[in-house]
Amino acid sequence: MNQTEPIPNSSEREAQALRDLENSWQTPRGMIGWLSCTTHQAIGMRYIVTAFIFLLAGGIEALLIRLQLALPNNTLLGPDRYNEIFTTHGTTMMFLFAVPMMEGMAVYLVPLMLGTRNVAFPRLNAFGYWIYLAGAIFLYWGVFTNTAPDAGWFSYPPLSGPAYSPGKRVDFWAQMITFTEVSAMCVASELIATIFKMRAPGMSLNRIPLYCWSMLVQSFMVIFAMPAVMIASSYLLSDRTVGTHFVNPAEGGDPLLYQHVFWLFGHPEVYIIFIPALGFVSSIVTANSRREIFGYPGMVLSIVATGFIAFGLWVHHMFATGLPQIGEAYFTAASMMIAVTSGVQIFCWIATLWTGRLRMTAALHFVFGFIAIFVLGGLTGVILASVSLDVQVHDTFFVVAHFHYVLIGGALFPLFGAFYHWFPKITGRLMNEAVGKLNFWILFIGFNLTFFPMHILGLKGMTRRIYTYGSEMGWELGNILATIGAFIIAAGGVVFLINIFLSRNRGEIAGDNPWDADSFEWAAASPPKSYNFEYLPVATSRYPLWVAASERTFVTGLRNDRREVLVTTLMDAEPHHRLVLPRSSLWPLLTALAVTIGFIGSVFNAWYITYGSILTGLAFVGWFWPRLPVETKP
Amino acid sequence: MITQNMINVEHLEPSDISSQSPLWWGQVCIVAIEATMFSILMAAYFYVRLSVDVWPPAGDQFPHTLLPSIALLPLILSAFGSYWASQAAKKNDRTGMLLGMGLNIILATVFFVMRIIEWHSLNFNWQTDAQGSYVWAFLGLHSFDYVADLAFTIVLFFIVLSGRYAEKQRLGVHVDSVVWYFIVAIWIPIYVVIYWGPQIVETQ
Amino acid sequence: MTKRNGEKGAGLKGAVFCAYAFVLFDACAGHQQSAVDPAGPQSGKIAVLWWFFFGLLTTIFLIVMVFTLLTLTRRGHRSGQEPLNASHLPPGADEKELTRIVAAATIATVLILFVLLIASVSTGKSISELGDKKNGMVIEVTGNQWWWHVRYWNDDPSQMLVTANEIHIPTGRPVMIRGMSQDVIHSFWVPNLHGKRDLIPSRVTTEWIEADQPGIYRGQCAEYCGLQHAHMALWVIAEPQAKFDSWMKHQLRPASPPGGPTGERGKQIFLNSACIYCHSIRGTAAGGQTGPDLTHFGSRRSIAAGTLPNTIGNLGGWITDPQGIKPGTHMATIPVSSEDLQPLLEYIEGLK
Ligand code: HEA
Ligand code: HEA
Ligand code: HEC
Ligand code: CUA
Ligand SMILES: [Cu+2]
Repeated sequence: MNQTEPIPNSSEREAQALRDLENSWQTPRGMIGWLSCTTHQAIGMRYIVTAFIFLLAGGIEALLIRLQLALPNNTLLGPDRYNEIFTTHGTTMMFLFAVPMMEGMAVYLVPLMLGTRNVAFPRLNAFGYWIYLAGAIFLYWGVFTNTAPDAGWFSYPPLSGPAYSPGKRVDFWAQMITFTEVSAMCVASELIATIFKMRAPGMSLNRIPLYCWSMLVQSFMVIFAMPAVMIASSYLLSDRTVGTHFVNPAEGGDPLLYQHVFWLFGHPEVYIIFIPALGFVSSIVTANSRREIFGYPGMVLSIVATGFIAFGLWVHHMFATGLPQIGEAYFTAASMMIAVTSGVQIFCWIATLWTGRLRMTAALHFVFGFIAIFVLGGLTGVILASVSLDVQVHDTFFVVAHFHYVLIGGALFPLFGAFYHWFPKITGRLMNEAVGKLNFWILFIGFNLTFFPMHILGLKGMTRRIYTYGSEMGWELGNILATIGAFIIAAGGVVFLINIFLSRNRGEIAGDNPWDADSFEWAAASPPKSYNFEYLPVATSRYPLWVAASERTFVTGLRNDRREVLVTTLMDAEPHHRLVLPRSSLWPLLTALAVTIGFIGSVFNAWYITYGSILTGLAFVGWFWPRLPVETKP
Repeated sequence: MITQNMINVEHLEPSDISSQSPLWWGQVCIVAIEATMFSILMAAYFYVRLSVDVWPPAGDQFPHTLLPSIALLPLILSAFGSYWASQAAKKNDRTGMLLGMGLNIILATVFFVMRIIEWHSLNFNWQTDAQGSYVWAFLGLHSFDYVADLAFTIVLFFIVLSGRYAEKQRLGVHVDSVVWYFIVAIWIPIYVVIYWGPQIVETQ
Repeated sequence: MTKRNGEKGAGLKGAVFCAYAFVLFDACAGHQQSAVDPAGPQSGKIAVLWWFFFGLLTTIFLIVMVFTLLTLTRRGHRSGQEPLNASHLPPGADEKELTRIVAAATIATVLILFVLLIASVSTGKSISELGDKKNGMVIEVTGNQWWWHVRYWNDDPSQMLVTANEIHIPTGRPVMIRGMSQDVIHSFWVPNLHGKRDLIPSRVTTEWIEADQPGIYRGQCAEYCGLQHAHMALWVIAEPQAKFDSWMKHQLRPASPPGGPTGERGKQIFLNSACIYCHSIRGTAAGGQTGPDLTHFGSRRSIAAGTLPNTIGNLGGWITDPQGIKPGTHMATIPVSSEDLQPLLEYIEGLK
């Protein structure tokens, strides 16, 4: 408990202050309390747990895909089931697992790392979670009532249009997108406001932890990318339900336009998943090589540059549509450029590891796994960026291999590393390191066994999204290996779950800072109190916890009897004013319900847009209605 | 040692009505989202327009330009009402807020009535063809935002009128004006696109 | 092999890499459908580019891996040691050197990417120039859920051949595929000849292919197009010009009359059933357009876009239960009595 040392006052006042803090930040008990909770730790955990459940769901779908493809002419799944399953798998993994998981981690970690007590808009945060949950339930309601979408995770029209996909399947998909994008935009705006305005005093731009930088960039990408998918999914929905002609070629619409708009989102989307993972890696590497990260400015510049460049490459998903050559050359060049920014980061991490004093924790194992897998996946990305090569491997298992390498290697491995790294913070107990390393090796071997053969399958002409193939094609070996590998990955998943459950109850007590790490979250208790810090910390260095204890500085003067936090200036993080955050509230949930009624209803009857808007409007009024008596005292 | 290591922030204001407020940034994010959305839609409009020879498609009349052009006047003026209210909010001037918001609400309503009249006179709807889909989407989306923010302003107006408000609500007035400026500003390019767009790109 | 200069060197390079990667890739072994087993100038150039990328990027991968693993073994930096001094920073000299190395690596990355970019763009350019030859021919390929409508373009409309699911081309002659679609987006891909090109409704896309050697190349629809996307294959059969010409001449003729009385009976059964609403057989009253043209069906390699080899038994299975063989196909199940089936099959198989 470092931070309590320098407090001048008597222990009596001290205790009173703590009680006040406890009172004003605690969530009311009971069901209502649970539903109205707005603290970032709780909401973050809800995101993480829900998203993890969808990882399992998506994983089970993946196993079904692999079982079907294990043997030629397999009849385990028919074409309709297979198409539903791969669509649900891709959709679940991208929209219900990866993005929300990254957001949940950020909702949990960012306020702690910045040294504040909650995100800037706690109720919006809760609202975002409920909307995400509603969207996820909506999609799986479809899955369990035999209306699972079946047009692929990017649902190209005309196949996904009213003429070729009758029924409600694609509507479930498109509306689920609306839900998750609303949720993502809520988190993005609150993270931007939090990172800009609620950093610890002294945490000027050049002292922000790299993880927070990556979340800042990711949030901006969400802000600018999600509107595109909003438009793409609305094109589909309105063409399907109210008969517009946005993507209907017969009436002047254009199916290629949908592809442009979708990938204008879709490409940034993959970096939205990937960039937070870079932040995890930086944190883990810093803590476990026990030295300052090498090349902080270069890292920040690369992350920011990645964010910008990512908006200029979408066409590389459309090379086979036959674009003018000059355009192709541009998009090849732009796609390759992003290898430089990734390369710089890889080099900086290697440099840090090179000169550090490594501590081979399980988390660091995952970082090494990340480097191996991601670099390979990134290099196949460079192959795909070349138009001439892409027209051969596009829409084959080569691409499937590429994106699982970058998604699993680039995002999932760091995520697992992050679980091992921050589990002690979240639960107060360490995870078992030996099991963790075993977990790593199982996943690493299983992963490569599953996805490496897919490169070869792709070159041998195996197109993606086929529910079966003939035995004369020569694809058996690769496929059977991939299926075995997938089950090894699943075994790794089981080991992970066991480790979680055992460590949660019986793990070694961690203490505040088991890794002797550098950033503020490790100054809070493990698990953190609902107010995070008794006295908000001040950043006196880029690595504030590596500063000698006697030189650490804290903030006093915030009121403890209400949810007060400190707002600082954008660039230099100088204290600017105090801010009272709202308490627990049911309105986020009620508003989310109103929105859900509108969204879901409109799939079946367009008038629900109006009903939903009116209900939502009313709920917002309730949300913003001044609480009486109005508190005007400073 | 002890006092050295503490920063006391007791003297700081317990709230702030300016761009220093996190809420202001949140509102800027929402504006950025909407602006991106409309920009993409406008780009899409031209993409579709340029991929065919005849525009608007046979049968669609050119939208009128007179009424929508006149309507710009009350719209732009309403932004001044909004500005007035937000300045008054910073100074905690209740009358100023009420007058500013009142002006905003009245002018905004005038504009909206004019829009409805013009909208009504279109001889195509969203189901007619792609041009119809776009024009209706622009009008629909913008009207949605418009009505939502107008309703929000009206609610704020009554809260302020009731007198039971604090910094939070004043900040609300300030931030509401940010959104209103955006809604006014974004209409101008949309107006150009849907009323002048067909004429401009048509003559090749 | 003779007229493509540069190809020899490429073949050599390819062979070296093949040998090297054989165990790993098993890709040069002449499978039916392979992107690294080129049979034409387009795919040849792509394969050269592929092996170039493959070699360079593999090297980069290995270098990065070596350095990553070396971080584990660095002397005096081994795991389990005390952290660096209180500042958590190694000595300044180390940092300087690291900065130099990382900067050099970054510059190297940029340079390598330039090389890759130039290689890629120039390959693309030279591929696009391949089609510009005098003796080119045009074939129109229209994607349908889930079969290929094929039309050989000719200035003389009577010489325009319509067929399905199988494309014959003369060797050594560039062929332009004009791609279109009836319904959703499909993608025309014959990996041994060239990369893929999407077939998009309301648009025309083009691609030049050419085969060096006579041979049979499998192709497959590469864009997900619904239920039976898996069963939307096609064959490209490359043969010498003379052979091609005689094939063409034969195909342009209307269907040959059935050989015997059973065939004649089969013809009547066909013409009196619903088949004619969807299928055409030139020279008969059958003129349906929604299914593949059957005029010379008997000469084709497979049934229903590569789903089954074309044998009389398979055909019987297909006609009696198309939905069982290709669930979701747009061919209706037309009840054919068991005594009618054999004549019908004989007739259709006889349409050589
Ligand atoms: C986490 C997600 C993620 C990431 C990080 C990436 C990273 C990259 N991707 Fe990938 N990609 C996807 C997820 C991702 N991708 C997905 C999901 C799809 C398919 C969607 C679908 O169709 O369903 C896809 C598809 C896809 C395509 C379209 C393929 C097709 O459909 O035909 C292309 C084409 O250019 C591409 C390129 C790239 C490139 C150039 C990178 C680069 O960012 C990689 C950069 C990294 C490195 C290069 C390695 C590190 C660098 C060095 C060690 C330096 C030295 C290197 C050199 C000198 C080269 N990707
Ligand atoms: C983050 C994203 C992500 C992740 C993690 C994965 C993970 C996996 N994916 Fe997925 N995949 C996609 C994103 C992802 N995928 C996308 C976007 C597509 C494209 C879809 C489209 O074309 O539309 C795709 C497509 C795709 C295909 C191609 C289908 C086709 O084109 O025909 C295949 C085929 O093998 C595949 C396999 C796998 C496998 C084996 C895993 C494995 O790694 C999964 C391993 C995880 C588990 C197995 C979970 C652990 C399970 C347990 C521990 C069981 C215990 C259960 C309980 C206790 C309840 N995926
Ligand atoms: C409703 C329309 C329809 C009817 C009726 C119909 N077919 Fe078909 N047929 C199709 C379609 C569509 C295909 C292509 C199916 C595919 O490959 O998915 C096809 C494919 C075929 C093929 C394979 C062609 C090839 O090139 O591979 C044969 C042979 C055939 N039909 C014969 C028949 C016979 C015989 C009948 C009558 C008993 C019949 N069809 C009735 C629509 C029809
Ligand atoms: Cu046609 Cu896939
Ligand atoms: Cu991309």
